Amino acid sequence: MIHNTKCDCGHQNPVGTVLCESCGKPLLDDKDNELLEMRYDGVARRSQKVNPSYLDKVWNFFSSVKIAIYLIFITLLGSILGTIYPQENTFIDLDPSTYYQDNYGTLGHIYYLLGLSHTFNSWWFITLLFMIGTSLVICSLDRVLPLYRALSKQQLRKHQSFLTRQKVTYSGELPSGVEPEAWTSQFAAQLRKKSYRVHTEGTALLAEKYRFSRWGPYINHIGLIIFLLGVLMRSIPGWHMDQYMGFIEGEIKQIPNTSYYLKNEKFTLELYSEDEMSEGFKEKNQSVPKTYETKAVLYHCVMSCDDPSQEEVLEEVHRADIIVNKPLNYKGLMAYQFDYKSTPMLISVKPTLKSKVTGEEFGSFELPMTKQLESYEAGAYTLKLKGFFPEFGLDDKGQPMTKSNDPLAPAFIFNITGPGLASGGEPYMYFPRQIDKETFRQDDINGAISQKLDLSVGSMEGVKIAEYTSYLNIRVDKAMPYIWVGAAISMIGLIMGFYWQHRRIWLRIDDRQVTLGAHTNKNWFGIRNEVAAALNKGSITVDAKALEKGGKSA
Amino acid sequence: MNWSSISSTFLLIAFFVYLVAFFLFVVSIVGKKWSNRNPEEHTKRWGTVAYTVAVIGFACQVTFFFTRWYSGGHIPTSNLYEFLTFLGMMIMLAFLIIYMIYKSPVLGVFALPVGFIMIAYASVFPSEIQPLIPSLQSYWLKIHVTTAAAGEAFFAIGFAGGLMYLLRTIDYNGKSKSDRKEQRGVEFTLFFILLLVAFIVGVFSFNAAGYHAQFSKQVTVTDDSGQSQTITQTEQYFLPPIVQPNGTQIDEMKSFLGVSKPLFEAPSWMNGSSAGRKLNTVIWTLILGSLLYGLLRLILRKPLGAAIGPVVKGIDAEDLDEISYRAIAIGYPIFTLGALIFAMIWADKAWGRFWGWDPKEVWALITWLFYAVFLHLRLSKGWQGKKSAWLAVIGFVVVMFTLIGVNLVIAGLHSYAGV
Repeated sequence: MIHNTKCDCGHQNPVGTVLCESCGKPLLDDKDNELLEMRYDGVARRSQKVNPSYLDKVWNFFSSVKIAIYLIFITLLGSILGTIYPQENTFIDLDPSTYYQDNYGTLGHIYYLLGLSHTFNSWWFITLLFMIGTSLVICSLDRVLPLYRALSKQQLRKHQSFLTRQKVTYSGELPSGVEPEAWTSQFAAQLRKKSYRVHTEGTALLAEKYRFSRWGPYINHIGLIIFLLGVLMRSIPGWHMDQYMGFIEGEIKQIPNTSYYLKNEKFTLELYSEDEMSEGFKEKNQSVPKTYETKAVLYHCVMSCDDPSQEEVLEEVHRADIIVNKPLNYKGLMAYQFDYKSTPMLISVKPTLKSKVTGEEFGSFELPMTKQLESYEAGAYTLKLKGFFPEFGLDDKGQPMTKSNDPLAPAFIFNITGPGLASGGEPYMYFPRQIDKETFRQDDINGAISQKLDLSVGSMEGVKIAEYTSYLNIRVDKAMPYIWVGAAISMIGLIMGFYWQHRRIWLRIDDRQVTLGAHTNKNWFGIRNEVAAALNKGSITVDAKALEKGGKSA
Repeated sequence: MNWSSISSTFLLIAFFVYLVAFFLFVVSIVGKKWSNRNPEEHTKRWGTVAYTVAVIGFACQVTFFFTRWYSGGHIPTSNLYEFLTFLGMMIMLAFLIIYMIYKSPVLGVFALPVGFIMIAYASVFPSEIQPLIPSLQSYWLKIHVTTAAAGEAFFAIGFAGGLMYLLRTIDYNGKSKSDRKEQRGVEFTLFFILLLVAFIVGVFSFNAAGYHAQFSKQVTVTDDSGQSQTITQTEQYFLPPIVQPNGTQIDEMKSFLGVSKPLFEAPSWMNGSSAGRKLNTVIWTLILGSLLYGLLRLILRKPLGAAIGPVVKGIDAEDLDEISYRAIAIGYPIFTLGALIFAMIWADKAWGRFWGWDPKEVWALITWLFYAVFLHLRLSKGWQGKKSAWLAVIGFVVVMFTLIGVNLVIAGLHSYAGV
């Protein structure tokens, strides 16, 4: 097993070396005419140790490209599974234990039981991503360091068999009447024109260009690692927030776990008009939304924020018209237009107190559905608020109660004091909505007072209604810069690696016998043509295609 | 004449000019054996003519693209029709670029059909200009969709190169097990392309004949406020119904070949949107595709692969291998940029997350991972030649599923790009 790694040229190579680091002579095989394995320039990788320790074995596992390919392929298959049915995270309120059964039958239920309804958050998927990340780091380190070493100390004069066993190679006599050294320097000049960097040493020549493209894959991998780390960083507390909140028009709501409050001043839904549609589309008679817009105001709480007994003091800090593709952004706090719902709801009414007998109007006041005052004045009368039921109803025992906190069927209980009423005041129940007033028989409940006074809204002008609830997606994502930087680095690496190729041409002349070998990591077509063109200029006529040994006899 | 109809006319012209270019490329290869000529010179001359015609076709399609943009007021890449015509245009561009590098007329024989079949396929989808919904109102629509399509177009050329390599290297006289497997594989790929052609021809023929049938059923839906009501759902057929949607009644159906009733009903588990109609389309495609394939076999009296094979016979197999690989290597960074990075930037702006595991996103990732595997196998494991060619062919199937299959089968957030 112990392989002698000392080359004929005297260079001592590390175990695992395929081609001598110094002269390029093949060390391992003796198959004379096969193409050389030029990967990583034949250097020994870190993972090729004689007696691997436990840690080395782990290193070796992750340093294998084969393992990396398996990992990518398994991730690919796993991802396919994850697209069969919608994932749980697509829905905001969902009970997955019944959803898949109800919508996709038994298969759906099995899908849920296997945990595939959250494939991309599952332990095995995340483990796979981790392993790919590890593999990226180790594979790259394992190769890039030895490769860097090999490329930075290249020997000019290569072993004969190194040249003849390249994929692109040429051997032949020098044209008569030309001095070897003169020919070499004119050949070098030809290659320089093609932007090669040429080094010569007598009649040995090394021409090289675009070496940087060799680093492309590793730079790409570094970018991917940063990207994956960015994704991981989102689990740092406070780095990532993601919630969906409904804001009815006019309402101020606290954004949970922050000292920020957001108000939806108005939501607008605009549809395309007929003249904005093409002839063909008009015939379809579809209405298409043009804009969803939320006029949002962001407040910051400056006083008595965590004290439930006191009213918070809010200060406006930012104002934005949120539309799709244009979120609100305030110091990293983002609010995106996500959805809307038509939810007609009362914001406030402006009722007028009248005499039932004479019709005289005593006065009117603004009565909101949230945060009412303790009492209201209407002329000489004072209405003290005793009770408020946003969605009025009766419980089992016939007692008044509210079904929810949304003002769907609001009811107010006042105690009215003023001229012509009992000194302690008289109770008065008020239903702003006409339909509730009739359903719950307001006049019967109020009894005698309803003969004297009437509280009601004269016209629609006195009614403020919120048409829509706008759903916003509130987010904080501090890892984004890392993700973009990772993506950018990765892209730079890809471009370096794919749009340039590392090309090298070696040449030596021994007794007027020219031997040339050329190597590129991609695009043999290109290097073939370059070599043929340069040789032809030096009066060695050769067809580009004939230079290539691969497969066919040259 | 308004801009929108001028635009459509240019696409039609482009389509026929591409067809002409295709035949010229065929002549440049097949005509080598004609008498009184130097084969190499013939190929070169006809190849140049064909290339020029292809450039003219491309110019017509570019005109189509920009007049439609002008007419609609937004870049025409917002639904399947517009996207697929654009993809067709990018495939032509990718072909024109790769041809400039390798000057191989035989590439035209294979790459042009990929392009014009794509355009013909696009025309199956509704083509009127639609107003742009809010989520598409962003300059990223231009950037993301165009770069993604450009990357995919190079994968299409990689596919054409891979298929050519297989046709070139597979031994059609071989009787061994692996030979047969390869023969069948290529035959299946060609059959698949014929299915697509049969589908397009079928849809156009029945549309031209004005065929129409309608089915309806009563369904109970529950609206947001929890109230349920019964509504009538109708389903329109433009191909004669072989299968009718589950639980529907016939409202209207013209008899076809004396058949006035659907032959059977879709099973009850097929209850997705328009599942019945889609099943009907699939059945028709299989029937028409098999007929077309059978007819060709009858005329040629040998496997299609064996019949096309001679076109690529004179070509160096290694060149084809490299063309296929090179196209994919050029396309990969563009695809990464357009279909993943730009997509993430837009998703971050529009939906507030750069990645949400939406089916379309996942399939773009799957495509990317697939080509990553392809590249690693090729660069590190030495998978060249046939293995690499098969991967190039399969890769493009993955691309097509991502583009169309996801919309038709899975939907998700990108569903607005559907029909």
